[in-house]
Amino acid sequence: MPGQAPGVRIDGLTVVYKTPAGELPAVRDVALTLEPGTITGIVGESGSGKSTLALSLLNAVQPPGRIAAGSVDIDGLGDVVGLRGEELRKARGKHVGYVFQAAQNSLNPLKTVGKQVLDLGRSHGVEDLRGLVRDARELLGRMGLDGARVLDSHQHELSGGMRQRVGIMLALVLNAHLVVLDEPTTALDMITQANILKIVREVHAERGLTTLVITHDIGVVAEVADRLAVMYGGRLVEQGPTRQVLGDPRHPYTKGLIRAIPRLTGDIAEARALPGRPPTLTTVPERGCVFRDRCELRMDVCDTDDPAAVAHGDRIVACHAVKVREHA
Amino acid sequence: MTVIARRLAGHLARGIVMILVVATISFFIVRNIPGDPVAARYQKLLEQGMSPEAAERATAVMYGFLPEGTLWQQYTDYMAGLFRFDLGVSVTHPGSPVTSVLGEAAKWTVLPVLAGTLLSFLVGVIMGVYAAIKRSGKLGDFLAISGSLLHGVPQYVLALLMGAIFTTLIPILPQGGTADILFEPGFNAGYIGSLIEHATLPVVTYALASYGGWILAMKSSVVTVLGDDFILAAELRGMRRSIIFRYVARNAILPLFTILALSLGLLFGGAIFIEKIFNYPGLGFLLIDSVVNRDYALMGGAFLLITAAIIVANILADLFYTVIDPRVRSGEEASA
Amino acid sequence: MSSAILETTSTAATMRRNFWRGVWRVMKRKPSRLVGAVIVLGFTFMGVFGPMFYPEVLPRDTSQLYAPMSAEHWFGTDGQGRDVLAQVITGSRYVLLSALVTAVITVVLGTAIGLFSGFKRGRWDTVLMRLTDMKLTIPGLPLLLVLSTVWSFGSALEMGLLLGLLGWGGVARAVRSQTLSLRERGFIEAARGLGLSTTHIVGKELLPSMAPYIAMNMLIAVTGAVYAQVGLFFLGVLPYEADNWGVMLNLSVFGGGALTTTAALPYMLAPLLAILLLTLGIVLVVDAMDEIFNPRLREE
Repeated sequence: MPGQAPGVRIDGLTVVYKTPAGELPAVRDVALTLEPGTITGIVGESGSGKSTLALSLLNAVQPPGRIAAGSVDIDGLGDVVGLRGEELRKARGKHVGYVFQAAQNSLNPLKTVGKQVLDLGRSHGVEDLRGLVRDARELLGRMGLDGARVLDSHQHELSGGMRQRVGIMLALVLNAHLVVLDEPTTALDMITQANILKIVREVHAERGLTTLVITHDIGVVAEVADRLAVMYGGRLVEQGPTRQVLGDPRHPYTKGLIRAIPRLTGDIAEARALPGRPPTLTTVPERGCVFRDRCELRMDVCDTDDPAAVAHGDRIVACHAVKVREHA
Repeated sequence: MTVIARRLAGHLARGIVMILVVATISFFIVRNIPGDPVAARYQKLLEQGMSPEAAERATAVMYGFLPEGTLWQQYTDYMAGLFRFDLGVSVTHPGSPVTSVLGEAAKWTVLPVLAGTLLSFLVGVIMGVYAAIKRSGKLGDFLAISGSLLHGVPQYVLALLMGAIFTTLIPILPQGGTADILFEPGFNAGYIGSLIEHATLPVVTYALASYGGWILAMKSSVVTVLGDDFILAAELRGMRRSIIFRYVARNAILPLFTILALSLGLLFGGAIFIEKIFNYPGLGFLLIDSVVNRDYALMGGAFLLITAAIIVANILADLFYTVIDPRVRSGEEASA
Repeated sequence: MSSAILETTSTAATMRRNFWRGVWRVMKRKPSRLVGAVIVLGFTFMGVFGPMFYPEVLPRDTSQLYAPMSAEHWFGTDGQGRDVLAQVITGSRYVLLSALVTAVITVVLGTAIGLFSGFKRGRWDTVLMRLTDMKLTIPGLPLLLVLSTVWSFGSALEMGLLLGLLGWGGVARAVRSQTLSLRERGFIEAARGLGLSTTHIVGKELLPSMAPYIAMNMLIAVTGAVYAQVGLFFLGVLPYEADNWGVMLNLSVFGGGALTTTAALPYMLAPLLAILLLTLGIVLVVDAMDEIFNPRLREE
């Protein structure tokens, strides 16, 4: 059924947060396309706006934030930015599945998992509730859990890895074909992490999904993603096929990020941390490139003009220096 | 089951120790009062022409121990009486054992306080939810401020103001007592109507005095739960508003049930000022009376009863929480 | 050497100046807090100097029993023809003095026990906390009523002393948990590591960081003490020795029948109003203190 996988086109998306200092952008003018049936990874440090971007896919940016401009066009749903009320609610869960950060408690602590599956079914007008529970049990079994037992458990009786699998089950059980995973492996141990990533990859292939993975861990993206987008200070600075971006980074931030990873082979001293600190909501410069303060290729134009995202073949890079070099 | 059983055993042991401590305190207060009321009573009976033996027996019945004898002997006698639910005899209610005087008064305290507690809990919880949802609006502000005010003002101030308004300025409610003496006590419409009329002011005042606490507690609980991850998760899964509301309400009200169970401990001694002000013959009224009239056996008994209720409520609250919260309850599965 | 000393004193002075500027800023932002401070100061003034304006024994005017409110008697007169307002003012000294004593005892005992408990932990901690639990379980008002048969409440000091001795449990618990949380954050270990003595750690490091918290608890203790002792006198279980707000309430209700006739109503309302006003003032001041000492709130 891979034909069911929807494509997603994000264009000109800007999300602002209301603060005492006025409305400040957390995500600015982001354009990103998720091809049907692919896994896209978004990498960024905390505060880069990647979670806000993920929430925008469900038009679920929490106050005091709001989507100020742009569109998120999902096949079969249309522009979700325009959705309101019941329409929006029904789209969530049924068309777009959202998997929470593993460290968060995404389950009602007072109800068993099974009862929450039933609540989900009732919310979306599922008539065959028995069938829904059976699907849930099978999904859990598929992910290596004792489905019947998990459905009968409360959240506190499950380990982090089990909770994360329950989260994935809840995102998929209504047959959503677009799945957003927000930091799916954070706070899990290495073995569980590898397990979850394997499950993500397999389920993605089996069910024919379009998947978006948000993470701060380049390793996670390298493991699962077909395409990779790098986010910094609310902007997408570079995107392209994962191997290309990792093997031959163009944007100075991506380069710095990859240089900071210690290699298994070779001298550990070769890993160099990126100097400086990422901007926060209040320190993001209003004009010019968001990365210029930490950039080794800084030019005069970086202070005044925001670099546009320019396509170079499969790659899209937003950097004045890269543009100059390409054209030189 | 083992966790619950172990918890229960621990609480019971601690509760019994507490009750013994309180009983000891009230024993020594009675025994060590300047002028020794026990000896004085004995002396008085002798002066009234009673034989020493009869006077001794009468005094012992009254206080639960003999006027002479060592302190230790008196103490053990008193404690032994306690285990037989024998608290001595009241001076101000001639011939009546303290237990029956307490029992008579208890019914005038338990029912109104229970009614007031449940009323305020119900209204306070509902208003607390509103105060939390509308917390950035005018309605929320109003609810929160009125809650803090009612919570902060002492019970007697509230009772006096209520009395001034409804019995003095707009005299629509009776000023005191349990019922009009015109009616024959019993199961007839006139008497019951009068009972309700007389109970209105005490019950409403008690409810108002505790309402503030409920609304504040519920508001903060709801605000906390609204910020929890699983509520956002439920929203992102497209759960119906009514279901999300239920999730919030159940999780938010859970800690309040414990407070409710604790507040039931005040069933016997929670309305002292209100009973005094509205002349309502409950346990609080009795306690004040016994203090004023120096009816020490009655005073000790009332104090013991009031305190024991609180201790028992503490135990029940903890057990109750173990039963309703799966997180606490599951300890049993892990250890079983 | 001397320049170093000079430097430290001058930084201390700037800090103090900054502090008062902060206080002023917080006060200015919400004028209600200024009102609170004015009320509390007003009551303090009343308690200290009020009784000096009146003779030892207030004059009686037997032709004016339970007189209504008038320009001459703002809150009317009582059953013996004495001015009600004058009684509220002269009575304030007892109320405030005993509340002050209670607050001091509550804070000193509660802080000492809480600090000791949280600092030593182990067996002492368990014993002290059991004791605190016990004290918190025994209901306050009934206990006070029972104790009123053996304790003389003649002077404000004695009243304050008893309320203080009964009231330290809450503060002790709070201070203990604060100490434990500072401990958990490695505060104490770090100080130990620097080779500081226990006295220094407690006196110079722990107490100052808890001072605002303790101060707030003290104000709350003051309100509690006012309620408790006015309530006790109102119930009539204590000898009517002092000119007291509680005694006034008692006489107005059970002597003047304020709950059946309007004549004694002003007599009852005057002390009630005084209690409410004092509470309001203290609540507003606590609110202001909260913001002065809690930087997180200030930033908003």
